[in-house]
Amino acid sequence: MNRHLTEGELRASLDGELDKALSGHLHACAACQKQLNEIEKAHLRTAKRLSFLSGETGKVPSTQSAWYRFTQDYMNQKETSMLKKWFSFPVVRYGAVAVLALALLLAFPSTRALAGEFLNLFRVQQVTVLSIDPNNLQSLTGNEALGKQLSELISSSTVVTDEPGDPVEAATGEEASGLAGFSVRLPEGQTASGIYVTESAAFTMTVDREKAQALIDGAGRTDLVLPETIDGAEISVGIPATVSASFGDCPTPDLEGGEDPFDMGEKYPDCIVLTQMTSPLVDVPENVDMAQLAQIALEFSGMSTEEAASFASNVDWATTLVVPIPRDVTTHSEVSVDGVTGTLIQRTVEHSPEYLLMWVKDGILYAIADTGSDTAPAFTLAESLP
Amino acid sequence: MKKRNVESVDAHADSRDEDFESLFREYWAYVYRIVRRLVVDPTEAEDLTLETFFRLYQRQPIYEDGFQLGGWLYRVATNLGLRSIRSFKRREGYELKAGRFALDEAPETRPVEIQAANEEQETARRVLAAMNERQAQLLVLRYSGMSYKEIAETLGLSPTSIGPLLVRAEREFEERYRALAQEES
Repeated sequence: MNRHLTEGELRASLDGELDKALSGHLHACAACQKQLNEIEKAHLRTAKRLSFLSGETGKVPSTQSAWYRFTQDYMNQKETSMLKKWFSFPVVRYGAVAVLALALLLAFPSTRALAGEFLNLFRVQQVTVLSIDPNNLQSLTGNEALGKQLSELISSSTVVTDEPGDPVEAATGEEASGLAGFSVRLPEGQTASGIYVTESAAFTMTVDREKAQALIDGAGRTDLVLPETIDGAEISVGIPATVSASFGDCPTPDLEGGEDPFDMGEKYPDCIVLTQMTSPLVDVPENVDMAQLAQIALEFSGMSTEEAASFASNVDWATTLVVPIPRDVTTHSEVSVDGVTGTLIQRTVEHSPEYLLMWVKDGILYAIADTGSDTAPAFTLAESLP
Repeated sequence: MKKRNVESVDAHADSRDEDFESLFREYWAYVYRIVRRLVVDPTEAEDLTLETFFRLYQRQPIYEDGFQLGGWLYRVATNLGLRSIRSFKRREGYELKAGRFALDEAPETRPVEIQAANEEQETARRVLAAMNERQAQLLVLRYSGMSYKEIAETLGLSPTSIGPLLVRAEREFEERYRALAQEES
Protein backbone atom coordinates (compact mmCIF):
# COMPACT_ATOMS: atom_id res chain seq x y z
CA MET A 1 0.00 0.00 0.00
CA ASN A 2 1.47 3.33 -1.00
CA ARG A 3 -0.83 5.91 0.52
CA HIS A 4 -0.48 7.28 4.03
CA LEU A 5 -3.05 6.31 6.63
CA THR A 6 -5.99 8.62 7.25
CA GLU A 7 -6.62 10.22 10.64
CA GLY A 8 -9.44 7.79 11.24
CA GLU A 9 -7.23 4.80 10.49
CA LEU A 10 -4.52 6.14 12.77
CA ARG A 11 -7.08 6.68 15.52
CA ALA A 12 -8.34 3.11 15.04
CA SER A 13 -4.79 1.80 15.42
CA LEU A 14 -4.66 3.28 18.94
CA ASP A 15 -7.62 1.11 19.88
CA GLY A 16 -6.16 -1.98 18.19
CA GLU A 17 -8.87 -1.71 15.54
CA LEU A 18 -6.73 -1.06 12.47
CA ASP A 19 -7.16 -3.34 9.49
CA LYS A 20 -4.18 -5.72 9.46
CA ALA A 21 -3.47 -4.92 5.83
CA LEU A 22 -2.63 -1.35 6.86
CA SER A 23 -0.41 -2.17 9.83
CA GLY A 24 2.65 -2.85 7.70
CA HIS A 25 2.64 0.63 6.22
CA LEU A 26 2.12 2.25 9.61
CA HIS A 27 5.16 0.55 11.11
CA ALA A 28 7.36 1.48 8.19
CA CYS A 29 6.19 5.07 7.60
CA ALA A 30 7.79 7.89 9.59
CA ALA A 31 5.21 10.47 8.46
CA CYS A 32 2.32 8.28 9.66
CA GLN A 33 4.12 7.62 12.95
CA LYS A 34 4.54 11.34 13.51
CA GLN A 35 0.88 12.03 12.89
CA LEU A 36 -0.05 9.07 15.06
CA ASN A 37 1.84 10.64 17.95
CA GLU A 38 -0.19 13.83 17.63
CA ILE A 39 -3.46 11.94 17.50
CA GLU A 40 -2.41 9.84 20.47
CA LYS A 41 -1.67 12.93 22.56
CA ALA A 42 -5.13 14.32 21.84
CA HIS A 43 -6.73 10.96 22.50
CA LEU A 44 -4.97 10.55 25.86
CA ARG A 45 -6.13 14.00 26.94
CA THR A 46 -9.74 13.11 26.16
CA ALA A 47 -9.33 9.66 27.72
CA LYS A 48 -8.22 11.25 30.97
CA ARG A 49 -11.14 13.63 31.04
CA LEU A 50 -13.61 10.84 30.30
CA SER A 51 -12.04 8.19 32.54
CA PHE A 52 -15.12 8.30 34.78
CA LEU A 53 -17.06 6.57 32.00
CA SER A 54 -15.28 3.31 32.73
CA GLY A 55 -15.00 3.77 36.50
CA GLU A 56 -16.77 2.14 39.40
CA THR A 57 -20.40 3.05 39.91
CA GLY A 58 -20.87 2.17 43.56
CA LYS A 59 -23.64 0.00 44.87
CA VAL A 60 -26.40 -0.99 42.46
CA PRO A 61 -29.91 -0.73 44.00
CA SER A 62 -31.46 -4.12 44.60
CA THR A 63 -33.22 -5.62 41.60
CA GLN A 64 -36.05 -6.79 43.84
CA SER A 65 -36.91 -3.33 45.13
CA ALA A 66 -36.41 -1.82 41.68
CA TRP A 67 -38.87 -4.29 40.17
CA TYR A 68 -41.36 -3.49 42.93
CA ARG A 69 -41.06 0.23 42.17
CA PHE A 70 -41.40 -0.46 38.48
CA THR A 71 -44.63 -2.38 38.90
CA GLN A 72 -46.07 0.19 41.30
CA ASP A 73 -44.98 3.44 39.70
CA TYR A 74 -44.71 2.61 36.02
CA MET A 75 -46.70 -0.41 34.89
CA ASN A 76 -49.87 0.86 36.54
CA GLN A 77 -49.84 3.97 34.42
CA LYS A 78 -49.28 2.14 31.15
CA GLU A 79 -52.63 3.08 29.65
CA THR A 80 -52.09 6.75 30.21
CA SER A 81 -48.57 6.53 28.90
CA MET A 82 -49.73 4.76 25.80
CA LEU A 83 -51.86 7.83 25.14
CA LYS A 84 -48.84 9.97 25.72
CA LYS A 85 -46.92 7.95 23.18
CA TRP A 86 -49.53 8.56 20.50
CA PHE A 87 -48.84 12.21 20.77
CA SER A 88 -45.11 12.06 21.20
CA PHE A 89 -44.42 12.04 17.50
CA PRO A 90 -41.15 13.67 16.47
CA VAL A 91 -42.85 16.72 15.06
CA VAL A 92 -44.32 17.53 18.43
CA ARG A 93 -40.96 17.35 20.07
CA TYR A 94 -39.64 19.65 17.37
CA GLY A 95 -42.12 22.24 18.47
CA ALA A 96 -44.37 21.66 15.49
CA VAL A 97 -48.04 21.59 16.11
CA ALA A 98 -48.52 19.36 13.13
CA VAL A 99 -49.97 16.56 15.12
CA LEU A 100 -52.68 19.02 15.30
CA ALA A 101 -55.47 20.01 17.55
CA LEU A 102 -55.52 16.63 19.19
CA ALA A 103 -52.02 16.98 20.53
CA LEU A 104 -52.49 20.54 21.58
CA LEU A 105 -55.94 20.14 22.98
CA LEU A 106 -54.58 17.36 25.10
CA ALA A 107 -51.88 19.64 26.38
CA PHE A 108 -54.50 21.52 28.31
CA PRO A 109 -56.24 19.52 31.03
CA SER A 110 -59.29 21.68 30.62
CA THR A 111 -59.92 20.53 27.12
CA ARG A 112 -58.50 17.02 27.18
CA ALA A 113 -61.69 15.27 28.13
CA LEU A 114 -63.53 16.93 25.34
CA ALA A 115 -60.87 16.82 22.68
CA GLY A 116 -62.68 14.21 20.67
CA GLU A 117 -66.01 15.94 20.87
CA PHE A 118 -64.69 19.08 19.28
CA LEU A 119 -65.13 17.64 15.87
CA ASN A 120 -67.67 15.82 13.80
CA LEU A 121 -66.25 13.92 10.87
CA PHE A 122 -63.33 16.21 10.86
CA ARG A 123 -61.11 16.97 7.93
CA VAL A 124 -58.87 19.93 8.34
CA GLN A 125 -59.25 22.57 5.65
CA GLN A 126 -58.21 25.58 7.64
CA VAL A 127 -56.39 26.58 10.75
CA THR A 128 -57.51 29.02 13.39
CA VAL A 129 -55.79 30.07 16.56
CA LEU A 130 -57.47 30.20 19.93
CA SER A 131 -55.61 32.51 22.25
CA ILE A 132 -55.94 31.33 25.82
CA ASP A 133 -55.22 33.31 28.95
CA PRO A 134 -52.96 30.99 30.96
CA ASN A 135 -54.09 32.61 34.20
CA ASN A 136 -57.50 31.08 33.65
CA LEU A 137 -55.97 27.66 33.35
CA GLN A 138 -53.89 27.76 36.48
CA SER A 139 -56.62 26.50 38.75
CA LEU A 140 -57.06 23.52 36.43
CA THR A 141 -53.46 22.69 35.59
CA GLY A 142 -52.48 22.79 39.26
CA ASN A 143 -55.29 20.42 40.20
CA GLU A 144 -53.68 17.00 40.54
CA ALA A 145 -56.86 15.17 41.47
CA LEU A 146 -58.54 16.51 38.35
CA GLY A 147 -55.59 15.39 36.20
CA LYS A 148 -55.77 11.90 37.65
CA GLN A 149 -59.54 11.71 37.16
CA LEU A 150 -59.06 12.84 33.58
CA SER A 151 -56.37 10.25 32.89
CA GLU A 152 -58.60 7.52 34.28
CA LEU A 153 -61.54 8.69 32.24
CA ILE A 154 -59.50 8.69 29.04
CA SER A 155 -57.78 5.35 29.66
CA SER A 156 -60.95 3.53 30.72
CA SER A 157 -62.85 4.67 27.67
CA THR A 158 -60.18 4.25 25.00
CA VAL A 159 -59.35 1.29 22.80
CA VAL A 160 -56.33 1.31 20.53
CA THR A 161 -57.17 0.09 17.07
CA ASP A 162 -53.90 0.91 15.35
CA GLU A 163 -50.79 1.32 17.45
CA PRO A 164 -48.34 3.99 16.41
CA GLY A 165 -44.87 2.90 15.38
CA ASP A 166 -41.49 4.53 15.77
CA PRO A 167 -40.34 6.77 12.90
CA VAL A 168 -38.85 5.05 9.86
CA GLU A 169 -36.18 6.76 7.80
CA ALA A 170 -36.83 7.18 4.08
CA ALA A 171 -33.99 7.72 1.66
CA THR A 172 -35.97 9.82 -0.82
CA GLY A 173 -39.18 11.75 -1.18
CA GLU A 174 -40.56 8.96 -3.38
CA GLU A 175 -39.88 6.38 -0.71
CA ALA A 176 -41.53 8.62 1.91
CA SER A 177 -44.56 9.03 -0.37
CA GLY A 178 -44.82 5.27 -0.68
CA LEU A 179 -44.64 4.76 3.07
CA ALA A 180 -47.00 7.60 3.96
CA GLY A 181 -49.56 6.97 1.22
CA PHE A 182 -49.67 10.50 -0.17
CA SER A 183 -47.49 12.57 -2.46
CA VAL A 184 -44.79 14.16 -0.32
CA ARG A 185 -43.49 17.57 -1.41
CA LEU A 186 -39.87 18.42 -0.74
CA PRO A 187 -38.18 21.73 -1.62
CA GLU A 188 -36.27 21.92 -4.86
CA GLY A 189 -32.57 22.68 -4.66
CA GLN A 190 -32.23 21.64 -1.02
CA THR A 191 -31.21 18.26 0.31
CA ALA A 192 -32.93 17.04 3.44
CA SER A 193 -30.58 15.84 6.18
CA GLY A 194 -33.22 13.28 7.11
CA ILE A 195 -36.70 12.20 6.01
CA TYR A 196 -38.75 10.30 8.56
CA VAL A 197 -42.14 8.71 8.27
CA THR A 198 -44.25 7.96 11.33
CA GLU A 199 -46.97 5.46 10.56
CA SER A 200 -50.62 6.02 11.28
CA ALA A 201 -52.32 5.46 14.61
CA ALA A 202 -55.96 5.19 15.60
CA PHE A 203 -58.10 4.83 18.67
CA THR A 204 -61.72 4.90 19.69
CA MET A 205 -63.18 6.61 22.73
CA THR A 206 -66.60 5.91 24.16
CA VAL A 207 -68.01 8.84 26.13
CA ASP A 208 -69.23 8.16 29.65
CA ARG A 209 -71.33 11.27 30.23
CA GLU A 210 -71.78 10.64 33.94
CA LYS A 211 -68.05 10.46 34.58
CA ALA A 212 -67.28 13.42 32.32
CA GLN A 213 -69.94 15.51 34.08
CA ALA A 214 -68.57 14.44 37.49
CA LEU A 215 -65.20 15.68 36.37
CA ILE A 216 -66.59 19.07 35.38
CA ASP A 217 -68.56 19.28 38.63
CA GLY A 218 -65.46 18.29 40.59
CA ALA A 219 -63.63 21.24 39.07
CA GLY A 220 -66.30 23.52 40.54
CA ARG A 221 -68.10 24.17 37.25
CA THR A 222 -71.54 22.81 38.07
CA ASP A 223 -72.95 25.55 35.83
CA LEU A 224 -71.69 23.66 32.78
CA VAL A 225 -73.97 20.75 31.85
CA LEU A 226 -73.08 18.21 29.19
CA PRO A 227 -75.96 17.23 26.88
CA GLU A 228 -77.51 13.78 27.43
CA THR A 229 -76.98 12.95 23.76
CA ILE A 230 -73.27 12.45 24.16
CA ASP A 231 -73.61 9.50 26.53
CA GLY A 232 -72.22 6.41 24.86
CA ALA A 233 -71.13 8.38 21.80
CA GLU A 234 -68.30 6.60 20.06
CA ILE A 235 -65.56 8.84 18.79
CA SER A 236 -63.04 7.40 16.38
CA VAL A 237 -59.78 9.21 15.90
CA GLY A 238 -57.39 8.36 13.09
CA ILE A 239 -54.02 10.05 12.96
CA PRO A 240 -52.50 9.56 9.51
CA ALA A 241 -48.88 8.91 8.63
CA THR A 242 -46.70 11.93 9.16
CA VAL A 243 -43.62 12.83 7.15
CA SER A 244 -40.94 15.05 8.66
CA ALA A 245 -38.03 16.29 6.57
CA SER A 246 -35.24 18.03 8.44
CA PHE A 247 -32.77 20.47 6.92
CA GLY A 248 -29.45 21.47 8.43
CA ASP A 249 -27.88 19.84 11.46
CA CYS A 250 -30.79 18.17 13.22
CA PRO A 251 -31.16 15.42 15.81
CA THR A 252 -32.44 11.99 14.87
CA PRO A 253 -36.16 11.84 15.56
CA ASP A 254 -36.57 8.68 17.57
CA LEU A 255 -38.46 7.77 20.66
CA GLU A 256 -35.43 6.55 22.51
CA GLY A 257 -34.75 9.31 24.92
CA GLY A 258 -34.74 11.76 22.09
CA GLU A 259 -33.96 15.40 22.27
CA ASP A 260 -35.16 17.81 24.85
CA PRO A 261 -37.13 20.36 22.83
CA PHE A 262 -35.98 23.15 25.12
CA ASP A 263 -32.41 22.61 23.97
CA MET A 264 -33.21 22.58 20.28
CA GLY A 265 -32.42 26.22 19.59
CA GLU A 266 -29.15 26.14 21.45
CA LYS A 267 -27.95 22.82 20.11
CA TYR A 268 -29.28 22.88 16.58
CA PRO A 269 -29.56 26.53 15.62
CA ASP A 270 -29.72 25.84 11.89
CA CYS A 271 -32.16 22.94 12.09
CA ILE A 272 -35.51 23.50 10.39
CA VAL A 273 -38.19 20.84 10.04
CA LEU A 274 -40.93 20.56 7.44
CA THR A 275 -43.78 18.27 8.41
CA GLN A 276 -46.68 17.19 6.24
CA MET A 277 -49.64 14.93 6.71
CA THR A 278 -53.10 14.36 5.41
CA SER A 279 -55.91 15.42 7.69
CA PRO A 280 -56.52 13.40 10.81
CA LEU A 281 -60.01 11.94 10.90
CA VAL A 282 -62.29 12.30 13.86
CA ASP A 283 -65.65 10.62 13.53
CA VAL A 284 -68.39 11.69 15.93
CA PRO A 285 -72.06 10.59 15.86
CA GLU A 286 -74.40 12.98 14.04
CA ASN A 287 -76.56 13.75 17.08
CA VAL A 288 -73.66 15.36 18.87
CA ASP A 289 -73.80 19.15 18.62
CA MET A 290 -70.21 20.22 18.14
CA ALA A 291 -70.68 23.95 18.64
CA GLN A 292 -72.50 23.32 21.92
CA LEU A 293 -69.73 21.07 23.21
CA ALA A 294 -67.07 23.47 22.02
CA GLN A 295 -68.70 26.25 23.96
CA ILE A 296 -68.73 24.14 27.13
CA ALA A 297 -65.08 23.25 26.62
CA LEU A 298 -64.11 26.86 26.06
CA GLU A 299 -65.97 28.01 29.16
CA PHE A 300 -64.38 25.21 31.14
CA SER A 301 -60.98 26.49 30.03
CA GLY A 302 -61.76 29.85 31.55
CA MET A 303 -63.45 31.86 28.79
CA SER A 304 -66.48 33.97 29.58
CA THR A 305 -69.84 32.67 28.34
CA GLU A 306 -70.13 35.47 25.76
CA GLU A 307 -66.59 35.04 24.46
CA ALA A 308 -66.99 31.25 24.21
CA ALA A 309 -70.35 31.54 22.42
CA SER A 310 -68.90 33.97 19.93
CA PHE A 311 -65.85 31.83 19.16
CA ALA A 312 -67.80 28.56 19.01
CA SER A 313 -70.41 29.92 16.62
CA ASN A 314 -67.85 31.44 14.26
CA VAL A 315 -65.88 28.29 13.70
CA ASP A 316 -66.80 25.47 11.34
CA TRP A 317 -65.97 22.65 13.69
CA ALA A 318 -65.96 20.04 10.95
CA THR A 319 -63.16 21.60 8.93
CA THR A 320 -61.16 23.81 11.24
CA LEU A 321 -58.11 22.88 13.19
CA VAL A 322 -58.19 24.90 16.39
CA VAL A 323 -54.77 25.51 17.83
CA PRO A 324 -54.87 26.79 21.42
CA ILE A 325 -51.90 28.95 22.31
CA PRO A 326 -50.99 30.66 25.58
CA ARG A 327 -51.71 34.35 25.18
CA ASP A 328 -48.81 35.72 27.22
CA VAL A 329 -45.84 34.23 25.37
CA THR A 330 -47.24 33.54 21.92
CA THR A 331 -48.38 35.69 19.04
CA HIS A 332 -50.03 34.69 15.80
CA SER A 333 -50.80 36.24 12.45
CA GLU A 334 -52.27 35.37 9.08
CA VAL A 335 -49.67 35.15 6.34
CA SER A 336 -49.51 34.34 2.66
CA VAL A 337 -47.62 31.12 1.98
CA ASP A 338 -47.51 28.51 -0.78
CA GLY A 339 -50.33 30.31 -2.61
CA VAL A 340 -52.77 30.12 0.31
CA THR A 341 -53.37 31.87 3.61
CA GLY A 342 -51.45 30.29 6.45
CA THR A 343 -50.89 30.92 10.12
CA LEU A 344 -47.65 31.99 11.71
CA ILE A 345 -47.36 31.27 15.42
CA GLN A 346 -44.41 32.75 17.24
CA ARG A 347 -43.27 31.97 20.73
CA THR A 348 -41.72 35.15 21.97
CA VAL A 349 -39.84 33.89 25.02
CA GLU A 350 -36.55 35.78 25.16
CA HIS A 351 -34.09 32.94 25.69
CA SER A 352 -35.63 30.46 23.28
CA PRO A 353 -37.83 32.08 20.64
CA GLU A 354 -39.33 29.69 18.10
CA TYR A 355 -42.02 29.76 15.50
CA LEU A 356 -44.31 27.56 13.51
CA LEU A 357 -45.68 28.24 10.06
CA MET A 358 -48.78 26.19 9.18
CA TRP A 359 -50.98 25.98 6.16
CA VAL A 360 -53.34 23.62 4.40
CA LYS A 361 -53.15 23.02 0.68
CA ASP A 362 -54.92 20.39 -1.44
CA GLY A 363 -55.95 18.44 1.65
CA ILE A 364 -52.45 18.24 3.11
CA LEU A 365 -51.45 20.05 6.28
CA TYR A 366 -47.96 21.54 6.25
CA ALA A 367 -45.98 22.86 9.19
CA ILE A 368 -42.51 24.29 9.31
CA ALA A 369 -40.90 24.52 12.74
CA ASP A 370 -37.78 26.52 13.41
CA THR A 371 -36.06 28.20 16.32
CA GLY A 372 -35.09 31.85 16.54
CA SER A 373 -37.10 34.96 15.79
CA ASP A 374 -36.25 35.33 12.09
CA THR A 375 -39.04 33.62 10.18
CA ALA A 376 -37.54 34.11 6.69
CA PRO A 377 -36.03 30.59 6.48
CA ALA A 378 -39.50 29.02 6.75
CA PHE A 379 -40.91 31.18 3.97
CA THR A 380 -37.91 30.47 1.75
CA LEU A 381 -38.39 26.76 2.34
CA ALA A 382 -42.14 26.94 1.68
CA GLU A 383 -41.67 28.91 -1.54
CA SER A 384 -39.25 26.31 -2.91
CA LEU A 385 -41.81 23.52 -2.69
CA PRO A 386 -42.69 22.21 -6.16
CA MET B 1 -50.15 -0.30 8.93
CA LYS B 2 -49.97 -2.44 12.05
CA LYS B 3 -53.53 -3.42 12.95
CA ARG B 4 -53.55 -5.29 16.22
CA ASN B 5 -56.32 -7.25 17.75
CA VAL B 6 -56.97 -5.62 21.11
CA GLU B 7 -58.44 -8.77 22.68
CA SER B 8 -55.47 -10.88 21.79
CA VAL B 9 -53.20 -8.23 23.24
CA ASP B 10 -55.08 -8.46 26.55
CA ALA B 11 -54.95 -12.26 26.54
CA HIS B 12 -51.20 -12.21 26.17
CA ALA B 13 -50.60 -9.34 28.56
CA ASP B 14 -49.84 -11.56 31.57
CA SER B 15 -47.26 -13.71 29.83
CA ARG B 16 -45.76 -10.61 28.30
CA ASP B 17 -45.35 -9.09 31.77
CA GLU B 18 -43.63 -12.27 33.00
CA ASP B 19 -41.20 -12.17 30.10
CA PHE B 20 -40.57 -8.54 30.78
CA GLU B 21 -39.86 -9.19 34.45
CA SER B 22 -37.12 -11.71 33.67
CA LEU B 23 -35.61 -9.30 31.17
CA PHE B 24 -35.77 -6.48 33.74
CA ARG B 25 -33.96 -8.59 36.33
CA GLU B 26 -31.30 -9.64 33.85
CA TYR B 27 -30.47 -6.14 32.66
CA TRP B 28 -31.19 -3.98 35.72
CA ALA B 29 -27.60 -3.69 36.97
CA TYR B 30 -26.26 -3.29 33.42
CA VAL B 31 -28.49 -0.30 32.68
CA TYR B 32 -28.07 1.25 36.12
CA ARG B 33 -24.28 1.31 35.71
CA ILE B 34 -24.56 3.01 32.31
CA VAL B 35 -26.72 5.77 33.76
CA ARG B 36 -24.82 6.10 37.01
CA ARG B 37 -21.56 6.88 35.22
CA LEU B 38 -23.23 9.91 33.67
CA VAL B 39 -25.48 10.98 36.51
CA VAL B 40 -23.97 11.70 39.89
CA ASP B 41 -27.12 11.50 41.98
CA PRO B 42 -27.88 7.80 42.74
CA THR B 43 -31.59 8.50 43.16
CA GLU B 44 -31.75 10.26 39.81
CA ALA B 45 -29.79 7.39 38.26
CA GLU B 46 -32.28 4.88 39.64
CA ASP B 47 -35.23 6.89 38.30
CA LEU B 48 -33.66 7.15 34.86
CA THR B 49 -32.94 3.42 34.82
CA LEU B 50 -36.60 2.74 35.57
CA GLU B 51 -37.56 5.19 32.82
CA THR B 52 -35.30 3.32 30.39
CA PHE B 53 -37.09 0.06 31.17
CA PHE B 54 -40.44 1.77 30.87
CA ARG B 55 -39.58 2.86 27.35
CA LEU B 56 -38.67 -0.71 26.57
CA TYR B 57 -41.96 -1.84 28.10
CA GLN B 58 -43.83 0.58 25.86
CA ARG B 59 -42.04 -0.74 22.83
CA GLN B 60 -44.34 -3.24 21.13
CA PRO B 61 -43.28 -5.81 20.24
CA ILE B 62 -40.12 -5.77 22.34
CA TYR B 63 -38.39 -8.28 20.14
CA GLU B 64 -38.36 -8.20 16.38
CA ASP B 65 -35.90 -9.40 13.79
CA GLY B 66 -32.55 -7.71 14.13
CA PHE B 67 -33.40 -5.92 17.38
CA GLN B 68 -30.26 -5.42 19.48
CA LEU B 69 -31.58 -5.21 23.04
CA GLY B 70 -28.23 -4.39 24.70
CA GLY B 71 -27.47 -1.65 22.21
CA TRP B 72 -30.98 -0.21 22.45
CA LEU B 73 -30.80 -0.07 26.24
CA TYR B 74 -27.38 1.55 26.05
CA ARG B 75 -28.58 4.21 23.64
CA VAL B 76 -31.72 5.07 25.56
CA ALA B 77 -29.99 5.07 28.95
CA THR B 78 -27.23 7.32 27.63
CA ASN B 79 -29.72 9.73 26.07
CA LEU B 80 -31.70 9.97 29.28
CA GLY B 81 -28.50 10.48 31.27
CA LEU B 82 -27.33 13.29 28.99
CA ARG B 83 -30.74 14.91 29.08
CA SER B 84 -30.73 14.77 32.85
CA ILE B 85 -27.39 16.58 32.95
CA ARG B 86 -28.85 19.31 30.76
CA SER B 87 -31.91 19.75 32.92
CA PHE B 88 -29.86 19.71 36.11
CA LYS B 89 -27.74 22.42 34.59
CA ARG B 90 -30.87 24.46 34.02
CA ARG B 91 -31.92 23.97 37.60
CA GLU B 92 -28.48 25.21 38.70
CA GLY B 93 -27.42 23.04 41.53
CA TYR B 94 -25.81 20.25 39.69
CA GLU B 95 -22.26 21.12 40.75
CA LEU B 96 -23.31 21.39 44.37
CA LYS B 97 -25.00 18.02 44.24
CA ALA B 98 -22.11 16.44 42.36
CA GLY B 99 -19.66 17.57 45.04
CA ARG B 100 -21.85 16.33 47.84
CA PHE B 101 -22.28 12.86 46.36
CA ALA B 102 -18.58 12.49 45.60
CA LEU B 103 -17.69 13.38 49.18
CA ASP B 104 -20.38 11.08 50.55
CA GLU B 105 -18.83 8.21 48.68
CA ALA B 106 -15.21 8.82 49.69
CA PRO B 107 -15.37 10.85 52.88
CA GLU B 108 -12.15 9.46 54.31
CA THR B 109 -9.80 10.69 51.60
CA ARG B 110 -8.56 14.14 50.63
CA PRO B 111 -11.63 16.29 50.03
CA VAL B 112 -9.76 19.08 48.18
CA GLU B 113 -8.37 16.75 45.52
CA ILE B 114 -11.66 14.98 45.23
CA GLN B 115 -13.41 18.30 44.77
CA ALA B 116 -10.98 19.32 41.99
CA ALA B 117 -11.25 15.98 40.17
CA ASN B 118 -14.95 16.12 40.61
CA GLU B 119 -15.20 19.56 39.05
CA GLU B 120 -13.28 18.31 36.03
CA GLN B 121 -15.66 15.40 35.69
CA GLU B 122 -18.64 17.71 35.91
CA THR B 123 -17.21 19.92 33.19
CA ALA B 124 -16.72 16.83 31.04
CA ARG B 125 -20.28 15.69 31.71
CA ARG B 126 -21.69 19.05 30.78
CA VAL B 127 -19.64 19.14 27.60
CA LEU B 128 -21.00 15.72 26.62
CA ALA B 129 -24.53 16.89 27.32
CA ALA B 130 -24.07 19.98 25.15
CA MET B 131 -22.63 18.10 22.19
CA ASN B 132 -24.40 16.72 19.17
CA GLU B 133 -26.23 13.62 20.40
CA ARG B 134 -24.49 11.13 18.13
CA GLN B 135 -21.02 12.43 18.87
CA ALA B 136 -21.69 12.33 22.61
CA GLN B 137 -22.98 8.78 22.38
CA LEU B 138 -19.97 7.73 20.38
CA LEU B 139 -17.63 9.04 23.08
CA VAL B 140 -19.66 7.49 25.90
CA LEU B 141 -19.73 4.12 24.17
CA ARG B 142 -16.03 4.10 23.30
CA TYR B 143 -14.78 5.37 26.65
CA SER B 144 -16.89 2.92 28.54
CA GLY B 145 -15.01 0.16 26.72
CA MET B 146 -17.07 -0.91 23.72
CA SER B 147 -15.29 -2.28 20.63
CA TYR B 148 -15.77 -0.59 17.26
CA LYS B 149 -17.96 -3.48 16.15
CA GLU B 150 -20.21 -3.08 19.20
CA ILE B 151 -20.39 0.70 18.75
CA ALA B 152 -21.23 0.26 15.08
CA GLU B 153 -24.08 -2.12 15.93
CA THR B 154 -25.42 0.11 18.68
CA LEU B 155 -25.41 3.28 16.64
CA GLY B 156 -26.19 1.74 13.26
CA LEU B 157 -22.87 2.76 11.71
CA SER B 158 -20.25 0.93 9.71
CA PRO B 159 -17.23 -0.23 11.80
CA THR B 160 -14.80 1.52 9.46
CA SER B 161 -16.51 4.87 10.07
CA ILE B 162 -15.87 4.74 13.83
CA GLY B 163 -12.21 5.85 13.65
CA PRO B 164 -12.83 9.05 11.66
CA LEU B 165 -15.95 9.87 13.69
CA LEU B 166 -14.02 9.43 16.93
CA VAL B 167 -11.31 11.83 15.78
CA ARG B 168 -13.95 14.47 15.03
CA ALA B 169 -15.89 13.85 18.24
CA GLU B 170 -12.75 14.03 20.38
CA ARG B 171 -11.73 17.28 18.72
CA GLU B 172 -15.17 18.76 19.28
CA PHE B 173 -15.15 17.58 22.89
CA GLU B 174 -11.74 19.10 23.55
CA GLU B 175 -12.67 22.46 22.03
CA ARG B 176 -15.86 22.66 24.04
CA TYR B 177 -14.13 21.47 27.20
CA ARG B 178 -11.51 24.20 27.00
CA ALA B 179 -14.09 26.86 26.29
CA LEU B 180 -16.28 25.77 29.20
CA ALA B 181 -13.35 25.39 31.60
CA GLN B 182 -12.18 28.89 30.70
CA GLU B 183 -15.67 30.28 31.13
CA GLU B 184 -15.95 28.66 34.55
CA SER B 185 -12.56 29.86 35.74
